[in-house]
Amino acid sequence: MKKNGVKMIKINSKNVDVFYGKKQALFNINLDIEENQVTALIGPSGCGKSTFLRCLNRMNDVIDICRVKGQIIINDFDINDKSCDVVRLREKIGMVFQKPNPFPKTIYENISYGPTIHGMAQSKNEMDEIVENSLKKAALWEEVKDRLHEPGTGLSGGQQQRLCIARAISVKPEVILMDEPCSALDPIATAQIEELIDELKKDHTIIIVTHSMAQAARVSQNTGFFHLGELIEHGSTDKIFKNPENKRTQDYITGRFG
Amino acid sequence: MNKNKEKLLNSRYRAEKRFQFYGKSAIFLALLFLTIFIFKIFSTGYTAFQKTWLIVPVTFDAETMYLDENPSKEDLEDADYFDLALQTMFNLDKSASEKQQNDLKRMVSYFFEREIKRELLNDPSLIGKTKDVYLTASDDLDQVFKGNYPRDLPEDQRRVTDYQLKIFDQLVEQGRVESKFNLSFFTYPDSREAELAGIASSFMGSIFSIVVCLVIAFPVAVLAAIYLEEFAPKNRFTDFIEVNINNLAAVPSIVFGLLGLGILLAVFQLPRSTPLVGGITLSLMTLPTIIIACRASLKAVPPSIREAALAMGASKMQTTMHHTVPLSMPGTLSGTIIGLAQALGETAPLILIGMVAFVNTIPGSPLDPAASLPVQIYIWAESAERGFVEKVSACIMVLLGFLIIMNLFAQIIRHKFEKKWS
Repeated sequence: MKKNGVKMIKINSKNVDVFYGKKQALFNINLDIEENQVTALIGPSGCGKSTFLRCLNRMNDVIDICRVKGQIIINDFDINDKSCDVVRLREKIGMVFQKPNPFPKTIYENISYGPTIHGMAQSKNEMDEIVENSLKKAALWEEVKDRLHEPGTGLSGGQQQRLCIARAISVKPEVILMDEPCSALDPIATAQIEELIDELKKDHTIIIVTHSMAQAARVSQNTGFFHLGELIEHGSTDKIFKNPENKRTQDYITGRFG
Repeated sequence: MNKNKEKLLNSRYRAEKRFQFYGKSAIFLALLFLTIFIFKIFSTGYTAFQKTWLIVPVTFDAETMYLDENPSKEDLEDADYFDLALQTMFNLDKSASEKQQNDLKRMVSYFFEREIKRELLNDPSLIGKTKDVYLTASDDLDQVFKGNYPRDLPEDQRRVTDYQLKIFDQLVEQGRVESKFNLSFFTYPDSREAELAGIASSFMGSIFSIVVCLVIAFPVAVLAAIYLEEFAPKNRFTDFIEVNINNLAAVPSIVFGLLGLGILLAVFQLPRSTPLVGGITLSLMTLPTIIIACRASLKAVPPSIREAALAMGASKMQTTMHHTVPLSMPGTLSGTIIGLAQALGETAPLILIGMVAFVNTIPGSPLDPAASLPVQIYIWAESAERGFVEKVSACIMVLLGFLIIMNLFAQIIRHKFEKKWS
C-alpha cells in the first residue's frame, strides 16, 4: 500500500537475534513488513522463518529456553520492550498455525472466544454479528451457517483452517501471521485459503511462512528468503523470483537445494 | 540359501505361536484365580443375605407386662417385656426343665424382647390377644437352617444342643421357620451377635470418610497439579517436588496411618475413630494419586490448543482455565475416582487411627465414631462364630460392588466426556 507514493511500513525489525539455549537460531534480522500487503517468508526447513514469525507476536515467550534480542517495532512501539503487554499485542496480531487447531468447542464458541475475552461485544446480537462477519470474511459462512453450534473439530481440514482464520480475524487484528497454513491441506482447500488471503490483505497486513515457492509467488507481494538463520534477501516477490541478487536465493528458487 | 530362508521363516512363525500361547496361558491363569476367588466369596457369602425367623405365637398378656387397664403410649413404652418374652419362648415346650428353658431362650436373639415390644407398639390393640410374631433366630440355628452347620457332630462339640434341634425341627415341621431377605444386614450396625450384625455403621463410615477425603484431596491436588504443570518454572526445585510426589504415591499406607495417629490425634486432638480423621488420613494417601493423574491429563492436552488460545490474546490464566483444565477434567476425574476407590479399600491406616473400634451405633456425621467396610471385614474375620464367616464374604461382596460401581463410573466419565481433537 502506498500513501503519496511512500511505502507504509507496518513492522520494522532491527537486529533481531534469537537463541534457543546456547544455540543461535536467528542472526541479525532486519526486515520491514509493508502494510496491507502479503509478505512471504521462504527458505529450507530449519532456516528460522517460523522462529522469526513467532517473534512478531512473542509466541516464543512460551518456550522457556528461547531468548529474543533486538527491536521489533510495530506502530512505533518496540514489542520486545518490558512495558509491552503480550495480551494486548496478541489481540492486534493474530496467528494461524500450520495444523488447524480449533478449540474442541462449537463453531460459534470458537469465533466468539476472542471477542469475549477482549470484551468486544456488549450484547448477544453484537456477538452474533461478529461471528457472522468473521465467518463470511473467512468464506466459511455459507458452509456452516446452519450448524454453528456443532463442534468445530467435526469440520474438514480445509474448513477447520478457515475456521481458525475466522477466529483470528474475529478480534480485528492489524496483522495476521500464518505459519504454513496450507501444509496440511489438499490442493482445493489450499486454493480456497490462498484466495482468502488475497481478500484479507485489504484489511490486514499478512505475513505467511510457506514451503511452497509456487504459493509464495501466487499470494505474496513481498518475499524474504531465509537460510541458516539469516535473512539472505528480501524485496518484491517479482524481483526475488525473477531476478534474485544472491546466488543462494537463485539456487533455492530454481530448486537446486532446499 | 532358499532352504535356510524357509527354516528361518518357520522358526519365526513358531516363535510367534509360542508367544501367543504364553500370553493366552497367562490370561487363563489370571481368570482362573479370579473365578476361584469370586466363586469362594459368593458361595460362602450369599446366605448372609437371608435371615432365619422363628414365627412364635405371642400372647400379649397385660398382667405379665405389669400393665394397668387402658395403658397410655408411654406406659407401653416403659412396660416390662422381659417376662412376656421369656414366657413366649417357654410356651414352646411347657414341660421343659430349667436347663431346657434356658436352651429355649437361646434359640432366638437377645433382641427378641424388643421385637415383641415393637409389635405391640405398632398395634396397641393386641393386648390380651395372641399373635404370631417373627423373632430373629439365633445365629447358630440360622446356620443350621441354611445347612452351614454340621448336625452329625457329637453334642458337646456343637453350639446347638440336641434339645434345641428337636424343638427347632418341630417348628420347621409346623412351618414356623421362615427365611427372608436379610434387610437388617444393611440397616443394623455391628453387633457381637452374628444374627444382628449389620454393615450400616461401617458403610456410613466409609461414605463419610470418602467424602471427607474427596473434599480435601481433590481441590488441593488439582490446584497443585495445575500450578506445577502450567505455571511453575522448570528448575531443580520443581523437579525435586515432582520426584517427591511420585515417592509419596509409593509410600505404604500404614505410614499415613502413623502420621494420622501422631499428628491428627496426638497433636490436634481430633476425635479418634471418626471418619473425619480417617478421611484426612486417606486424603494424604490419595493426594499424590490425583496429582499424578491430573498432571498426566494436563500434559495430554495438545500444545496446539494452548498456542491457539495464547495467540488469541488469552492470558496464561485464561488459557489454563478456559481450555487446558476443562479438557483435562475427564482424565482428572477418573483418576480421582480410582484414587478414592483405593482409599475405600484401605484398612491399615484406619486401624491405626482407631476406626477398628467396635461401633454399635450408626454415625450421623463425620464426627461420630464409625468403622469402615474393609475394617469391618477385618473385625468379623477375627470372630469365631460361624455366623460371621458368611458375613465376611457378604461384606466383601458389598465392598467389591461399591468398587466396581466407582470404577465403572470412572470409565463412563472418561469415555463420555473425553473430547476428541483432530
